[in-house]
Amino acid sequence: MAAGSRAGTQSGGDDGVIDLTPMLDVVFIMLIFFIVTSSFVKEPGAEITKPEAYTTDSCERGTIIFAVTAVGDIFYDKKQIPVERAYRLAEAAKKEAPKANFVIQADVDAPTSVLSQLLGVIKPLMDAPLCASTEEAG
Amino acid sequence: MRKRNQDAEADEAQIDLTPMLDVVFIMLIFFIVVASFLKEAGIEVNRPESNQNPPESDATSIVVTITGDDQIWMENRRIDIRAVRANIARLLASDPEQSFTVKTEAGATAGTLIEVGDAAREAGVKQVNWPAEEKR
Repeated sequence: MAAGSRAGTQSGGDDGVIDLTPMLDVVFIMLIFFIVTSSFVKEPGAEITKPEAYTTDSCERGTIIFAVTAVGDIFYDKKQIPVERAYRLAEAAKKEAPKANFVIQADVDAPTSVLSQLLGVIKPLMDAPLCASTEEAG
Repeated sequence: MRKRNQDAEADEAQIDLTPMLDVVFIMLIFFIVVASFLKEAGIEVNRPESNQNPPESDATSIVVTITGDDQIWMENRRIDIRAVRANIARLLASDPEQSFTVKTEAGATAGTLIEVGDAAREAGVKQVNWPAEEKR
């Protein structure tokens, strides 16, 4: 009797049940797409004033980000680093995401000598021109 | 009667998908949020392969120098930042394939460098080259 009543309620509920299979397919495909395309960005986390530029473009796959502050400190992944360590960190990041490109967020008042040094250090790892982060002007 | 039995049989084999769906949705939302997390924008600056052999034909290349006190020098005269674009455009008009190089001296600031690079790109330069600063 118990079985009978259970079957009864189930078959009664069947009419109201939606077939979730197509939705699951779509959700899985979206999930896989986003997993594949996602790239984890380590933000430098330094307070900088970006210079403005009229020809600001999007940085293609610019996900390895260094920041140079107004006093010439280099930041990566929310930590201040010496310029000698930049190569190791850049190499590790490049190994993790081989298609990633480099971005340097330089403060308006950042000294170009530090920028030049940093660029010289990471240059052997770069396969695209450096993207100097700017703000869209106007 | 027959239908009922079939339904009951199918029920036995069915797995409750709800917890999996919860997990999948949370993962989906997480990855969507992470994917559109950061969009960096900027201008491209190229570092020439090596500074051992600078471009031998300086005559066919536009060179702008930024001195240590952020003055901009071009063709042996000092020019204002607002005049950079017009000057580069004028030089570019004679030979649109000319390469563009911006040299900096220790003490210059990134703001000036990027302003010059921006002006050059506005004038129609394809690539901004920035060689290493010379040690003094």
